[in-house]
Amino acid sequence: MNRILYYVLVTLQLVAVFLFCGGFFPQKVVLKNVSEFIIDSKEQLAAKPVFDKLVIVVVDALRSDFLFQKDSSNFHFMHELLNSGEAWGYTAYSNPPTVTLPRLKGITTGSSPNFLDAILNVAEDDTSSNLKEQDSLLKQFHKNNYKINFFGDETWLKLFPIEFFSTYEGTNSFFVSDFEEVDFNVTRHVSYQLDHQKQWDILILHYLGLDHIGHKGGAKSNFMKPKHDEMDAVIKEIYEKTNEDTLMVVLGDHGMNDLGNHGGSSAGETSAAMAFLSKKLRKYRPSSIQQSSELPIENVDSSYTYLKKIEQIDIVPTLSMLFNLPIPKNSMGVLIDELLQLIPSKLAAIKVQDNYLQLTKLKPDYESDIQGKSSETLLEEMRDIQSSLAMAATNYNYTLLAYGTALMAVGTIVMSIMNFQLSQDYAQHLCISILLGISMFASSFVEEEHQIWWWITVSVLLLTNLSYGKKLVFLLGLRVIRGWNNSGQKYIYDDVLHTLLKSNTSMQWWLNSATFLAVGFPFLRNKSELEKIISLGCVTFLALSSLTYKVCFAIVNGDEVPQILHSLALKTCATYLSNDYAAEDDISQCLVPFARMSFKVCGAAAVIIVLLKYTSIKGSNTLNKLLSVIKFILLLQTSSANISMFLVFEVMTFVAPNISPILSLCLQNLTFFQFGGTNSIATINLTNAYTGVSSDYNIYVVGVLMFVSNFAPSIYWALASIPQSATQKSLRLQHYYITGTCLLIACIALRYHLFVWSVFSPKLCYYTTWSLYNTVMDFAITLLGTI
Amino acid sequence: MPPKNRKTVKKTVSFSDDQNLTNANIHSHGRGLGDDDTPPVYVRKSLSLIPFHLLGLLFWFLKYSDFNTLGLLYLMIPTQVAYLIFRFNKNTIYGKKRLRVNWLLVFIALGACLLLSVPCLAIIVLFGAPFVELLRESWLLALHCCFLTYPAVYDVFNCNFKVGYFKKYFISVVIGCWLSCIVIPLDWDRDWQAWPVPLIVGAYMGSFIGFAVGGYI
Repeated sequence: MNRILYYVLVTLQLVAVFLFCGGFFPQKVVLKNVSEFIIDSKEQLAAKPVFDKLVIVVVDALRSDFLFQKDSSNFHFMHELLNSGEAWGYTAYSNPPTVTLPRLKGITTGSSPNFLDAILNVAEDDTSSNLKEQDSLLKQFHKNNYKINFFGDETWLKLFPIEFFSTYEGTNSFFVSDFEEVDFNVTRHVSYQLDHQKQWDILILHYLGLDHIGHKGGAKSNFMKPKHDEMDAVIKEIYEKTNEDTLMVVLGDHGMNDLGNHGGSSAGETSAAMAFLSKKLRKYRPSSIQQSSELPIENVDSSYTYLKKIEQIDIVPTLSMLFNLPIPKNSMGVLIDELLQLIPSKLAAIKVQDNYLQLTKLKPDYESDIQGKSSETLLEEMRDIQSSLAMAATNYNYTLLAYGTALMAVGTIVMSIMNFQLSQDYAQHLCISILLGISMFASSFVEEEHQIWWWITVSVLLLTNLSYGKKLVFLLGLRVIRGWNNSGQKYIYDDVLHTLLKSNTSMQWWLNSATFLAVGFPFLRNKSELEKIISLGCVTFLALSSLTYKVCFAIVNGDEVPQILHSLALKTCATYLSNDYAAEDDISQCLVPFARMSFKVCGAAAVIIVLLKYTSIKGSNTLNKLLSVIKFILLLQTSSANISMFLVFEVMTFVAPNISPILSLCLQNLTFFQFGGTNSIATINLTNAYTGVSSDYNIYVVGVLMFVSNFAPSIYWALASIPQSATQKSLRLQHYYITGTCLLIACIALRYHLFVWSVFSPKLCYYTTWSLYNTVMDFAITLLGTI
Repeated sequence: MPPKNRKTVKKTVSFSDDQNLTNANIHSHGRGLGDDDTPPVYVRKSLSLIPFHLLGLLFWFLKYSDFNTLGLLYLMIPTQVAYLIFRFNKNTIYGKKRLRVNWLLVFIALGACLLLSVPCLAIIVLFGAPFVELLRESWLLALHCCFLTYPAVYDVFNCNFKVGYFKKYFISVVIGCWLSCIVIPLDWDRDWQAWPVPLIVGAYMGSFIGFAVGGYI
């Protein structure tokens, strides 16, 4: 194929995808203005709020069982209150995407989330997701002269105009490895605020530590129970120092799955805990389920439904009702019926009607009718409206969608015509692309894409012309990789190598050390003595610096490390700090410099290798050595229980050094999933996105690091077999064209599908990211080739 | 399961008058044999080759048995033996002879199938079956696969290890299993999606087709 045409097509693919994304992730249209009472406004205005003060304690990722279930919960004070009736507990369904920013929008405005919010949750600098214009609980409080004090996750400060808050301090949510300080920075304000209760009417606290623990060690992490104790103590302190006119709400913004991730729509992720606490509540009856249960609940519920189940956004009209404020305009929440007891029954009926009229305004062409309907009927009808509203989607920009898809389709047709040939290679590529393309239309195949890739990879392996012995070793390697991590949503096995290595740390670290040695292998092949000395120096520095960093990182995160590596880390830290002795606590301050050191060593090694090539020494094996340096960077960006997976890769590439491009394509995709990735945003791994980044970080650097840490194995296999000939290159591009076209069509066809946010949109994002990488690498390699 | 030693299989036998008869057979049956060195083993084409009992078993398994994998196995082994004796065996021609059942070999082949299920299990796991969890189910699948190929295993014994000729019967079972995997990721949450039910169905279908048309290929 013509080289210029090839690069035109490469660019066209990106343009098409970006156009499509522009149309697929638009900003949502929301009703402007601030709402007023709709009916009987005189009576409503004259009514008094039930409570004077409100304390909202958001504990990030507080899943329902963390608060209510016996084995997982350590909130003993909360249990006492729940049993005495001073606290009312609920399991609150939080709509996916279950990440903080969209959920905070839901909790404050009562509206359904937008997928763009989930992406912007990561891109912190963005301000476009602001709620300045939108009606929200906070806006209503502010308008009615409530003084709001806020301490915690700075997402709130980005969401709302600063003038809403009279006193505030934000903590940064993205240092995932920090469990203690991030919460201490919130708690240190609590006593002062409680002693000066005249300075605020609304106090909002947002704790991030529990979420960080989840991301780090999963829902059953050892750090979880102490964190529960800590949160429980905070709740106790606030509850005991406030009077009965203060309402306290403790809630999680979303839940987590057992791996501690969130973002998707599994039961664990969407079941957040919520509890209303007040001394006043003792006089009223909680939900019938709570009346008949004894907290903590002993039975384990696999759907995470404990006590009564409500929608998380129901908090919006309920708080509006309790503080006698109009319900925010875009709220889709429905009043929680038990809490209606707290206001006089006549007013309660008005409030229900008000909620009904406000909600039906969101549903165009809905015939709202309150005549002769009792509150119970209205509440029931409202819940129906609520669920139908949740299904309705955002407004797509159909012009952009059409352009994107059309460009993609044109590219695909040109590609297939240009490439057409009667060869086995072409037929295999076409089969794979079509198979995957079809699978894009089924949400379960997208969720379980790793199974498809496994199937394809084994089939392709059996059809390649390797010898039987090599095939067997390769297949064995593949099988080990398959057993390394869980992927997909459907089958979660307990016995995967990842957990085995996590519990068996000494084996893990010996394998890891072996991996660092194996990756440096190309440095051992040299021509002259001088070159050998320089190469050995390079590889020693590379392996030691990166291994030391990974060991330090593990120690800081509370993982066990073999004694010898432990003392190595401590000695290095002592040398760095120029002390005689370093304690474990000193390591954390060495992390950032060590990581930067490792990156610098990698850079220096690369420069030395290239220089050797062009000096009188005439360095040999240059390309493999450069690849080896890149592999060290990949290892740095890999979590420690996954590092030894690269040892398996090394064995596989040793057995079959020049795998065919088609096998490489399969492995790029398969290993991405077996690395623990899925087509859901829940499994985006953030732990290694901050390697060598201090707190005043640059979002682009973090973005690149995050990309590398999530796509490390794919990058490995992409580099293991760089397509040389034009045919191979264009066959690869054709694959991404065909699957891309199918994906775009699937996204359009299924845009009202229930899973559009949790399955198709993330898949589109992963596809875009990987296409971007492929394009950049393509151009980079061509550039390097011409130089 | 494809035996590992198929590359080393001898392609000729040493009976002195074999060649002529075999060639005569080729002429009378037209096609399907001897691509290069005219193997003296072949299966005669006949309606009695079609293993209808497999379809019956499959119907019972899916419809009435509540996916009782073990029960299916207990039913399948005797019917396979019966199938071998009454139908299949009379169609196998080895050299000039039409083979008769060798009762000792019937039992030896049964034992061999039982033993073969262990390497078969290894292959199934290598091809991606869950290893630690559900190992019993994977082994049941291996047993099913092995006993589905039981007639071919018997033939291999009776015909002095002519694995090369009979490998298509093993491969058809493998292909059936491999293709049926496709339903596993679907989120329909049906009982028949549980491991290893789809693969057993696939193996039965593969075996049905393989044994029905194997004589023609």
